Order: sequence, then structure tokens, then C-alpha cells
Amino acid sequence: MTETAPGAMIRVDRLTKQYGGRTVLQDVSFDVAEGEVVSVVGPSGCGKTTLLRCIAGLAEPTEGSVSIGGREVTEPADGVAVVFQHFGLFPWKTVFGNVAYGLTVAGMSRRDAEPRVRQLISMVGLDGFEKSYPYQLSGGMQQRAGLARALAIEPRVLVMDEPFASLDAQTRDLLQLELLRIWEQRPTAMVFVTHSIDEAVLMGDRIVILSGRPGRVRDIVDVGIGRPRGRAVVDGERFRVVRDYLWTVVMEAGADQGQPGGPQVADPPAGDPHQAELRKEQG
Amino acid sequence: MSSLPARQPAAPAGRRARAGRGPREPDGDQRRRYSRGQVAALRVTAGVAILAAWQICATAFAPNYIPRPSRTAAQIPSVLSNPQFLSGAASTLLAVIEGLLIAVLAGTVIGLVMGRVRDVDRALRLYVNSFYAMPIVALVPLLTVWFGYTPNARLAVVVLEAALPIIFNVAEGGRNVSASYVDVARAYRAPWWRVWTSVALPASLPYLLGGIDLAIGRALIGAVVAEFIAALNGAGYYILFNVRSFHQDDAVVAVGVLIAFVLALRGLVNLAVRRGLPWYQAA
Repeated sequence: MTETAPGAMIRVDRLTKQYGGRTVLQDVSFDVAEGEVVSVVGPSGCGKTTLLRCIAGLAEPTEGSVSIGGREVTEPADGVAVVFQHFGLFPWKTVFGNVAYGLTVAGMSRRDAEPRVRQLISMVGLDGFEKSYPYQLSGGMQQRAGLARALAIEPRVLVMDEPFASLDAQTRDLLQLELLRIWEQRPTAMVFVTHSIDEAVLMGDRIVILSGRPGRVRDIVDVGIGRPRGRAVVDGERFRVVRDYLWTVVMEAGADQGQPGGPQVADPPAGDPHQAELRKEQG
Repeated sequence: MSSLPARQPAAPAGRRARAGRGPREPDGDQRRRYSRGQVAALRVTAGVAILAAWQICATAFAPNYIPRPSRTAAQIPSVLSNPQFLSGAASTLLAVIEGLLIAVLAGTVIGLVMGRVRDVDRALRLYVNSFYAMPIVALVPLLTVWFGYTPNARLAVVVLEAALPIIFNVAEGGRNVSASYVDVARAYRAPWWRVWTSVALPASLPYLLGGIDLAIGRALIGAVVAEFIAALNGAGYYILFNVRSFHQDDAVVAVGVLIAFVLALRGLVNLAVRRGLPWYQAA
């Protein structure tokens, strides 16, 4: 199941990250192919965000490496766009200024950037809010702007750090579907870190499950749901099967580190009926 | 507003605390909102009351040479048309504005470098803090020796007075720039200088404004004291000269002009903030 695509866009290779002697991530390896979405789930504190910072070039691996497009990441790489959990919009810039940021910082003039920025603002549904400041927007609208800022640089790789985690449930559902729609228009390699199992299944082609402290790859699961995906996906049998399997494994990963993580599951993943079902369906 | 937990951090010294204003006002609070007119009416009433109390006390209890509003008011036209006063006031005000501009430029650069570069902060903080705490006017006799009894000495005092609160505040602002903004800039591959101009500087602006608020008052103190000590032509010296030559009423009018000047400068800064930084007051 961990087959290594030859043309991997992102390759995380035996990545270990320590902070002051504390190991946060240990020997994490996985690939993301071009146009593939890989969700990363795991109990809280398993190093999901650290993994993402390493991929984004914001943190350096202690051992192992991350490469993007065949080049080792030592600093934020070209064509990699990050969407942050807390949006990371600059309060002193308007929506336009924020969305244009990646372009202007790369040396493009505001005027040259304008058509693309306007198009993206419109794509994420923020028409008419170009001149608004972040404080004038709801959380969902702020993250739409964050998404537009990421897409504006026409990234090869999208890195999403729990992008919908600080939104209310309704807004989250809406933005998930919008992200699917937008991604469909221009499929990009994407790493989608989330603590929501449903979200991981809805977004991902494959799902990397991390166990906690230190974060290790517990399992990598093929979702096996075709695209384009819409709301109906969550009612499907396959969605249920994958979700239940993930639930079991993540809860165990949490239980391993002594975290009360919800329903405790006694049997190991190998003996889990869901997993049998999962393997069978993958054929 | 989740992206910036410390946006109004510890209310930059000198700036009126804005908590409890505008949208932050608790809903249950039934305090009456006052219109501008009502506020103005209250202010005028208080002003008239103070003048009346002064007038009554001075007439009832004080010797005849103590100034009182009735006589002072009568002197306003003659003082305001006195070419000696006008040229003096103009020279004081120009020195204050020039000193403030130099202090804002230099203070912002020094403060920002201190706030963002640890070693510079470690090296300079003690000295900045001690200079800020000490009365700069104690240096005036020395400065008049170094610069001569010239307007340059006055300018030096004004710059020192004004620069210290700005350096102090901006350095504090620089230290408090949220790491998440710096992450955004780095993730979008902003060159190092761009991180300064597009993140560190705007994020420190609220602190800079707090510093300017303090600097205005201090700059005027410095200018007036320098004129007292160095006998330089200016509004301060006009006051001293007229008091010594038994024209106290003229001196009081000049004091009124200085008050009006400080109010005008602060009003100008506030206006600039409202126009130029709409995100700041609302955030």
C-alpha cells in the first residue's frame, strides 16, 4: 500500500525531527504523487504540524529529508503554497493585498497581479470584498482569502495545516466542498493535515495515519473513492468503511500514548473486521 | 480575529486604552452612547467652569498681579498679532516638527532593529531604557555647550526627547511581532528585507503610534526648556521674558498657544491613523 510512485512530487524520506532532545517525528516516510491528495491524521500532539512545517521548508529535519519535485527542501521551496489554520492574513492588508501577497513578494507589480488576483477572489466567492480588511470578514471568509492567496501563486504543491479547524461546523462543510470543487479545476499535489477523520477521507486519495509521541507512520490507507467528489461521497459505503477503519486506528494510536481519545478499541487493526473489509475491496 | 491574540498587546504605552470601545463593548452594558455634540457640550461646560473658578478665586483671594481669564482674554489679539511672538512661536513649532520627523525616522529604524535582532536588543536595551527613564532636560546645559546657544541645541534636545519613547515602543512592537506572520512571509518566499517591510514594520505600527503620542508632548517640553536655558527666540522664551517683565497675561496666552499646538499635532496623528490605518482602530 505504500508503493512509491516514481514521479513523486513530494517525498518525505525517513524524516526525524527533534526539538531540544524531544523527538517529535520519527522515521516518517511517504510520497505524494503529482495531482494526488494525501491527508495526514493522528492524535493531537503527534507532530502533524511539525511534519507540515518541514514540508513547507519552515523547519529543518533533524534527520532524513523532504524533497519536492526531486529537490531537497532546505528553505521554503518555489511553487509551494501553505494555508494556515489561523488563516495568517495580514490585518494591515486588504483582501486584495493579502491575496496578491505571494505574487508581489515574488516581484510582480500590483497591476500585473491584478487580473489573477481578481479571478481568484471571485473563484473563492469573495467578489466585492477586495477592499475589505480581514477584521471585517467572518472566519470562513478569511479562510477563503487564505485559500485564494495560496492558489494565486499557481502552486505545484498545496500544504494545508488544518485549514478548517477553527471554523464552525457549517462553514467547514461548505468550504470542504468548495475546496474539492476548486481543486478539481486544477489538481495539485496536496498534503492535507487535519484532525477530522471525515475530512481526511473526504479530501484524501490516501491517508497517512500518524501515531503519537514521537509521531510515526502507523498506516497508510488508500481511500479508493473516485473523483470528482461531492457531498454524496459521505453517504457511500466506501466512505463509511474507510472512516471506521481510520477511527479505530487513530483511537488506538491515541490510546497507546495514554490519551483518552474516545471509544477505546480492544482489538488490533489486523484483527479488525473493517480492515478485512478494506483490504478485500482494494482487491 | 483568532490570528492575532496579541494585536492590542498591553496597550502600547501612551496610547489611550481602546478596550471597551466600539464593537468590544459588552452587549449587556447599557451605558449611554454620547453623540459628538453631547461630548462637545460637556467639554465646553467643563472649560467654562474651570475658567470661572479661576476668575472667581483670582479676584477674591489673589493679589492683583495674578493673571485671570478676563484680563488674559483681552490680551489675545495683541499677542497673536505681535510679530515677535509669531516668529518665536513659528520657530518653536518648526523645531518640534523637524525634531519629531527625525525622531520618528531614526527611532523606528533603531527600535525595529532592536526588536527584531536579539543581539542588538541585548546590547542596547539597558541604555535605551536608562535614557528613557532619565529626564533629558538635565542634558540641556551640556547640549548648549556642545551645540552653542543656537537652535541646533534646541533641535538636539527635541530629537532626544522624542526619539526615546519611539525607540522604546517600536522595540517592544518588534519583539511582539507574531511568529505566524513571519511564517507566512517566509512560506511565500519573501526576501529578508521584505519580511521587515511587509511584516515587522506594519505589525509594529500600533506601537510606533503609541510612541509618537508620547513623543509629541516630550518634544514640546524639550523645545521650551531649551529656550528657557539657552535664551533662544521661541514661544518658550517669549513666556519667560514676558513673565519677567510683568506681562503675565501675555505669557498665559502663549501657554494657550502651546496647548493648542499639542492638541493639533495629536489630532493630526489621530486623523492619519483613521485614514491610513483603518484596520488598527477596528482590530
